[in-house]
Amino acid sequence: MLTYAVRRILFSLPIVLVASFVLFVAVRATFDPLGKLRQSRDPEVLQRETERLGLNKSVPEQYLLWLKGIVTGNWGVSTRTGGDVRSLIGSALWPTLQLVFWGVLFAMLIAAFVSVYSAVRQYSAGDHVLTALSYVGIALPAFWFGLVLIQLLAVLPRQKLGLSDPPLYFVGLHSPGSSGFDLDYLRHLVLPVLTLTITLVASWSRFGRASMLDALSSDYVRTARAKGVPRRQVILRHAARNSLAPFLTVVALDAALLFGGLVVTEQIYSIPGMGRLFLDSLLAGDVFVLLPWMLVVAVAVVVCNLIADLSYALLDPRVRLR
Amino acid sequence: MSRHPRRVRRTLALVASAALLALVTACSNSSAGTGGGNGGGDPVAVRQGGAIVIGAEAEPDCADWLGTCAGSIWGSYTMKEATVPVAFVVRKDGDHWVPKASDLLAGEPTTQATGGTQTITYKINPAAVWSDGTPISAEDFKYTALQVRDGKDIFDKTGYDKIASIATPDPKTVVLSLKEPYAGWQQLFSSGYGVLPAHLLAGKNRGALLKDGYTWSGGPWLIESWKRGTSVTLVPNPKYWGAKPKLDKVTFQFIADTAAAFQALKSGQVDALYPTPQLDALSQIAAGIPNTKSEVDAQTGNLEAIWLNNARFPFDSQAVRQALAYSIDRKAVVNRLFGSIGVKQPAQSFFTPILDTYGDAAFGEYELDLDKVESLMTGDGWTKNGSGIWAKGGKPAAFAVETLAGNKRRDLTLQILQAQLAKAGFTMTVHNTTPADLFGKTAPNGDFQAGLYTLIDTFPDPTLSASFASSSIPSEANGFSGINFGRVNIAGLDPVLAEMDRELDPAKRIEASKKADQLLADAVPAVPMDALPNVLLWSTKLGGPIAINPSEGPFWNLNEWGLAK
Repeated sequence: MLTYAVRRILFSLPIVLVASFVLFVAVRATFDPLGKLRQSRDPEVLQRETERLGLNKSVPEQYLLWLKGIVTGNWGVSTRTGGDVRSLIGSALWPTLQLVFWGVLFAMLIAAFVSVYSAVRQYSAGDHVLTALSYVGIALPAFWFGLVLIQLLAVLPRQKLGLSDPPLYFVGLHSPGSSGFDLDYLRHLVLPVLTLTITLVASWSRFGRASMLDALSSDYVRTARAKGVPRRQVILRHAARNSLAPFLTVVALDAALLFGGLVVTEQIYSIPGMGRLFLDSLLAGDVFVLLPWMLVVAVAVVVCNLIADLSYALLDPRVRLR
Repeated sequence: MSRHPRRVRRTLALVASAALLALVTACSNSSAGTGGGNGGGDPVAVRQGGAIVIGAEAEPDCADWLGTCAGSIWGSYTMKEATVPVAFVVRKDGDHWVPKASDLLAGEPTTQATGGTQTITYKINPAAVWSDGTPISAEDFKYTALQVRDGKDIFDKTGYDKIASIATPDPKTVVLSLKEPYAGWQQLFSSGYGVLPAHLLAGKNRGALLKDGYTWSGGPWLIESWKRGTSVTLVPNPKYWGAKPKLDKVTFQFIADTAAAFQALKSGQVDALYPTPQLDALSQIAAGIPNTKSEVDAQTGNLEAIWLNNARFPFDSQAVRQALAYSIDRKAVVNRLFGSIGVKQPAQSFFTPILDTYGDAAFGEYELDLDKVESLMTGDGWTKNGSGIWAKGGKPAAFAVETLAGNKRRDLTLQILQAQLAKAGFTMTVHNTTPADLFGKTAPNGDFQAGLYTLIDTFPDPTLSASFASSSIPSEANGFSGINFGRVNIAGLDPVLAEMDRELDPAKRIEASKKADQLLADAVPAVPMDALPNVLLWSTKLGGPIAINPSEGPFWNLNEWGLAK
């Protein structure tokens, strides 16, 4: 498996390189790296920065310079904050990683359960209810749903019960002055994770249900049943396990995209993650942050797919990793 | 609220604000401030100690208050005002906001104009010290002045570019010599930049040192921490020589989403908010928030206007600009936007409400009058085409308005205007843009027909030369540094604006400014639009004199805030 993983990583490198070049060209075509400086009253500043940043060179040359910086750890300086881009992205990645980890973990568990239940009890009342709920979940816009959760689970309980503090917090991941993994952190985490989880469960459960129905109607399941394997064992060990492979592919892709796709959730819950960093950088036209940001998300997609591929072997004994 | 560089301490707001001529103060809930700002409102007795959290809707990009981050209004509220000493503060005197010497100085500075130059002498308060115990000295004034005058990438050099020399005869005396009289001299070392510590910054890379905050202070507070994207925490400066803070700690928590910020106030996660009056915020305020006091103050330094490009068709014609002003029912717009919180009057001058003594409400003559539109347009050679739209030489009276995407209040403003202008025979389209594009490229290059954005006066000093003097039109000659984006060039206006900037006699200055107000109203280089009041909300658990200061914001006296007894 190690050889396979190393080979996959090596195969991924050209993909990341091509993606980075396309991103570089697209971002440079869209944004002016000196946009902010064009408001400066210093007439020499544009020329100085053009030379310093190598903007007078050809695009391939600029790309190679940028790539060299990325590889050597010199990711550049944000024009918005004046800070080191690597530190900016690193500090934004951590809160997002926490949200993605908890959200994906809970969503996977719940979606897997809902998928199996709905497929096994297809067209039952429970299946219909879960199907309806999943469509509602898919239709819920995060910006609205997040505010509804805040109102229902934080503001109203505090007002109705006369509490001094809300039972759940929704500003950031910690109260001022606190840090670490404690009750305060958990009280901050519930609402954003719940917002994320419900949205993910809604779509994943639909996919998981379809995948599980496919597995249940397959020959090996019929054979297992004909051989008298207990129903529970057929569902869990044969059908569910096999249906998880395509399910995991979807989970891996979605999880990777979440690294950059939590703009709304992070905005509502005031979490300084990758989504907010992207939004702030986009509005400021800060190409020096946007480019590495996109590269990090592209790498996240590759890594998550690799994890999904590796997990196939654990789930399906027919898959051999070479 | 982020801001755009503008000389003379006027600012183009990227979010929102506007002007009103009349002072309108509306209060809600159990009690409220009065818009006094000078200890206004009903002071509530407070106890010593405790901590509060204030919701901040924007985060500064850095803490270099001389560079581009000087334009961050929330940087000013959260850190600069709390830590950087200033020569003049703005306080209310009767009905007007005026500069007053701060406790950094031993008394009112003396100034003298002789032979076409001006000299200002500052005496520094002997008790004034930085947080490390070093006395605040004349060298600090000198360092700050020369950094601004001679430095690169400085936010705004207005006034400092007139400095001929700066002498420090003793450690507590500063003598500033200006090349020419500067009527706005009280702005120097005041709201814009204050005074920075030379012993910590001189000879070093200021931008790099200050980009993530700093540990020194010459104000009532120290910055305990700045967690990017999360919060800024202030604690009392034990070396501050003035009134010590009542609270042990103040945290500004960054909450960009307005709806979430209001929920945070309702749930007690934050204790105060100073929201930009967007539509959703206004509806929440109108509905009332339990256990919260509020102040709505329309005597602001804000002016939202439709800025016209006077060099581009169709606004290269004065008759068309005047016709446009007569096509708009500005009262209806303001009432729709802010009527729910008691603000109903449109701006009638380019002088903002905190400068109302200088303006003459000259724009009051422009009210909806379609007959006058007809007369002006036909007199200028326009006829209506088959669609009822004015046309001249085969070109219709159609124009695009640049606006910043995502501002719902401005979207509504433009929707109302579209309907009103269509009735008057104009076609208006909306072009959404970003601050970087609008103020970095489109406006300086004159590549626009009209734009809807806001000016903010951060000091009660009247000057309009940056916006309307012909020398401020961005050009190669001035390195595209002017911000007369509308290419305004009105006959007779430049000398009047220059007089306003030079005249040290207040009465003569008022006379000149009223003349400028009338010239501008006659030529309609832009249309002053809606009123955008300042709004402050705070929990009933807070006490102290809490009120908005339109120049310094709501946290000007944070050291007097506390937990109610």
